[in-house]
Amino acid sequence: MGQLSQPLQPGAGSSPARWRRACHQCDLLLTRLTAPMGCKLVCPRCGATQHRNMERSIAHTLSLSISGILLFIPTATLPLLEFSLFTFGAKNTLMNGVQALFAAGYLWLASIVLFCSVIAPLGKFVMLAYICWGSAWARLRKSVARTLRWYEHLQEWGMLDVYMLGILVALVKMADLGKMEVKPGLYCFVAMMVAASAAQVSFDPETVWARLARKERQARKRKTGGIDSEVEG
Amino acid sequence: MNRPARALSEGLWVCLGCRQLIEPPQGARSCICPRCGARVHARIESSIMLTWALSITGALLLIPANILPVMTVIYLGSGEPSTIIGGALELYQAGLWGIALIVFVASIAVPVMKLVGLAMLCLIVQWRLDVSPRQAMRVYRVVNAIGRWSLLDLFMISILVALVDMGAIAEVQAGPGSTAFATVVVVTMFAVRAFDPRLIWDMYEQREVEAAELAQRIETQDNDGYSDRENG
Repeated sequence: MGQLSQPLQPGAGSSPARWRRACHQCDLLLTRLTAPMGCKLVCPRCGATQHRNMERSIAHTLSLSISGILLFIPTATLPLLEFSLFTFGAKNTLMNGVQALFAAGYLWLASIVLFCSVIAPLGKFVMLAYICWGSAWARLRKSVARTLRWYEHLQEWGMLDVYMLGILVALVKMADLGKMEVKPGLYCFVAMMVAASAAQVSFDPETVWARLARKERQARKRKTGGIDSEVEG
Repeated sequence: MNRPARALSEGLWVCLGCRQLIEPPQGARSCICPRCGARVHARIESSIMLTWALSITGALLLIPANILPVMTVIYLGSGEPSTIIGGALELYQAGLWGIALIVFVASIAVPVMKLVGLAMLCLIVQWRLDVSPRQAMRVYRVVNAIGRWSLLDLFMISILVALVDMGAIAEVQAGPGSTAFATVVVVTMFAVRAFDPRLIWDMYEQREVEAAELAQRIETQDNDGYSDRENG
């Protein structure tokens, strides 16, 4: 695993004969695995970002995803918008629209909206928090690896930013019909959206994989009775 | 000739789950990534066929999505169902051209551009069109990035349905077009996932190799002719 020494092709000169990475978008072999701290590793041929090395990635991602989970509570319970017409008024919460669509018989539509605006964003926060916390224990290696894989699949389905734009369009569209009011839930929603984007940017799977491998090595050494105890990092 | 080294020609695969370099077992068509447990193939299995299938599904669904009404705004007992284009036009006529532009781009331009882009990418690979791979990658990245924004209209509908619900005075109802439209967005998102951009580079590589071979053959022929003349 990871220890792949492959001979270079004959014509390629005397560069280090160890490929560390291949671009996932154009299959170009690269001799570098990670970017230096604070830098971005970009494929020289197609320009795809290979790795972004963020400082203290795990700690930042963990704190951002926990704040995201906490912000989800007021966002889901407080109303986001209020629409009033004459003496009538109606409030909109995050789940309200899904319920209304569900009641009107649009099951498929309701489930897509529910998945993209509630389940996927919340799932992403929970998964990130679990990955960052669980990577500290060699025992959880398997389940953290599985969660990481699922996170990759879920990533593009969290659409808080698109939902935010939807709220703005709804606000403007209905402004001439009645009175639209922004409620405190919306501020929590915006904060959650910012936390989601920040967590996604600061998260670096490569660091987590390296940490998992390190913990496993330590655990194995302890099990075989290694005398020199390594300092936990 | 010094060509950039590709993983496939070195017998290495990339896991798309964790982007690790893998040495596959001899003669295997797929294997399990030892690190993350995802199934790894040299290239995404039947990528072009899947992309075509999903994009054609999306293109067909785009017809009911645009013909059927997506939303009905009833105000004081009157109101008629509006389609996606109708909704954008209404905003434009109301003077809200900024919002109209956002709605137009998100719900009309983006799905169409996405389908056209996917078809272009598939054709480039299938017919081996002489397009620079960098240009093709640009198309791929744009298609990849814009996809999710089409759900904007549906989120707006779900918000309005909950918000404007006052019986006879004012009410917003969803229409059957919205279901079709939601499916278009989901299906095309899967279509982009199914497309493997490495195929573009494979094709480019192959063309380069062929061109080099041809050049060499012509060169040797020329040399032969020259030496013949010299001898004669």
